[in-house]
Amino acid sequence: MAPISLKKAGKQYGNLEIIRELDLDIADGEFVVIVGPSGCGKSTLLRMIAGLEETTSGQILIDGRDVTAASPVERKLAMVFQSYALYPHMTVRRNMGFGLTLAKLPAERIREKVEAAAETLKLTHLLERYPKELSGGQRQRVAIGRAIVREPVGFLFDEPLSNLDAALRVDMRLEIARLHRTLGATMIYVTHDQVEAMTLADRIVVMKEGRIMQQGTPQALYETPANLFVAQFIGSPKMNLLPCLPGAGGLDLSGEGSIQLPLSGRAAPAHLGARPEHLSLVSPDSGHCRGTIEVSEYLGGTTSVFVRAGKLGLINVSAPADTPYRLGETVGIHIDVARSSLFDDAGKAIAASR
Amino acid sequence: MTTLRWLVFGIAAFAMNFPILVTLSTSFKSARELSTNPGLWVQAPTLDNYLAVFQVTDRLNIFLYLFNSLSVALIGTVLAVALALPAAYAIARGRLGERTLLPFIVNLRAVPLIIFAIPLYMMFQWLALLDTRLGLGLILSIVNLPLALVILVNAIRDLPGELDEAALMDGASRTQILFRVIAPVCRPAIVTSLIFGFITAWNEFLFGLMLTTSKAVPITVGASFFFAASGGGVQWGVASAVMVVGALPPVLLGLIMYRQISGSMTAGAVKG
Repeated sequence: MAPISLKKAGKQYGNLEIIRELDLDIADGEFVVIVGPSGCGKSTLLRMIAGLEETTSGQILIDGRDVTAASPVERKLAMVFQSYALYPHMTVRRNMGFGLTLAKLPAERIREKVEAAAETLKLTHLLERYPKELSGGQRQRVAIGRAIVREPVGFLFDEPLSNLDAALRVDMRLEIARLHRTLGATMIYVTHDQVEAMTLADRIVVMKEGRIMQQGTPQALYETPANLFVAQFIGSPKMNLLPCLPGAGGLDLSGEGSIQLPLSGRAAPAHLGARPEHLSLVSPDSGHCRGTIEVSEYLGGTTSVFVRAGKLGLINVSAPADTPYRLGETVGIHIDVARSSLFDDAGKAIAASR
Repeated sequence: MTTLRWLVFGIAAFAMNFPILVTLSTSFKSARELSTNPGLWVQAPTLDNYLAVFQVTDRLNIFLYLFNSLSVALIGTVLAVALALPAAYAIARGRLGERTLLPFIVNLRAVPLIIFAIPLYMMFQWLALLDTRLGLGLILSIVNLPLALVILVNAIRDLPGELDEAALMDGASRTQILFRVIAPVCRPAIVTSLIFGFITAWNEFLFGLMLTTSKAVPITVGASFFFAASGGGVQWGVASAVMVVGALPPVLLGLIMYRQISGSMTAGAVKG
């Protein structure tokens, strides 16, 4: 187990800059999830750490050792791929032991280690099977098993669950979380699924266009997003953005309503970010703004109500499942101001003084 | 409907295989019957023609020709695949020479082989490779190389790159990846290249005719020696028998290995 650090690490393909001077420190035993939209460079970053992709500038340190130019095997990291990448011509046993065979470990030791890992992952009865005889979830467990037997200093996961169906994904997610607790290993996990990020991470790193937009605990990112991008990326359903202006005694919601809010002198809010779960439906004459219910989606536990509110656009409100308000009705929307965020014109969060 | 379909199929199959059927039937006819019975049906089947073919004389030796063909086909096939596999890996994964080398090598197939004949004859004379099994085998490996390369490049391209990367993470070198991961996974494609190569090499006539005279004569050339074995006119019965003997090995190989071939030709067409 080891800490992993990136110091101004960069990746350039010709003139194209994929990763820009990126600094990241991952503590020993930490579970870091790198999340971002496709093309943000998150997979490239993971592959740079793995040594599969050349780092064109800066440094990568594992356990304090500079490994920027080291081969993948010298870095002693293990990787789990999206497509599992099991060797199709080898049994599960040989798949898991291949790295050890290459390292010329005695056969007896390989057998012990493989069987111990198979035990942890409940793969013992599948050891003599070939990958094509396994289900998707079993293949993924074999891929994880192959990573475990090498006793790496850290694990890298590249979207490991995106080829699985929804139900299995939840099971595997729990299994990975359990594995992290048992092994206490440093893990770096790349995904575009923010739910996976929220549930697994000690720390989330949100990336966009090769840069880190914000990093922090899931709670910190959810409660105090540093910018509009993170605000919209983290949290499901998405945060509502209401265009606004500084007004008398607070905020003017584009003429559709107002909020009493002491603003510090220089702040120039342009957007109010409010999560659906922090909004509630009230009678039309109360609340901060009003609109007409356009769509209502019953979700069992709650109902997603979409309210058309003039210049504020369509606002998603998470209402109780048995909400009395009906389609086409005019309603008021109450905003939990203390739990909403303000952003300036450039999309940066304005530190609240409320 | 089914009957009609089978009827059409039967007629087409008969028409296409007619030359083979005639050769087969002729090989079992005696010289006398040949002059009186031109039909497919053999009235008095005889093995005399085959006995004549397997008779070793100081001028004719079918066993030598068969052994020569087997040797040169093996050299020409195994060497071609051994050269093509690392090249295909470099082209498919390292993208080395994908734009220039691959089209250039593949285009060798399009050039009439006779163009190489005269320079090759002189080079072989200089290298003392004329009338040797090694010499003919070397040339056949070059004839086989383009097809083997195309088959293997495509097979390797069909494999996900993550397979190589997983092996890299496991600590494998490029050579180990090629021989312990890529080659076993590409086995159907390798077998296909070997079979196609073997059949091409076995049936090759031009270089066999030009570059061999006695010691290394392959069966395709050796067979023609039987046509006028004892002077006089062509002995059709003996000629047919030697053709059947010469054609049998590649035909049998093709039939036995058919499953392997068709398996690899469709492999990768659909992601499994």
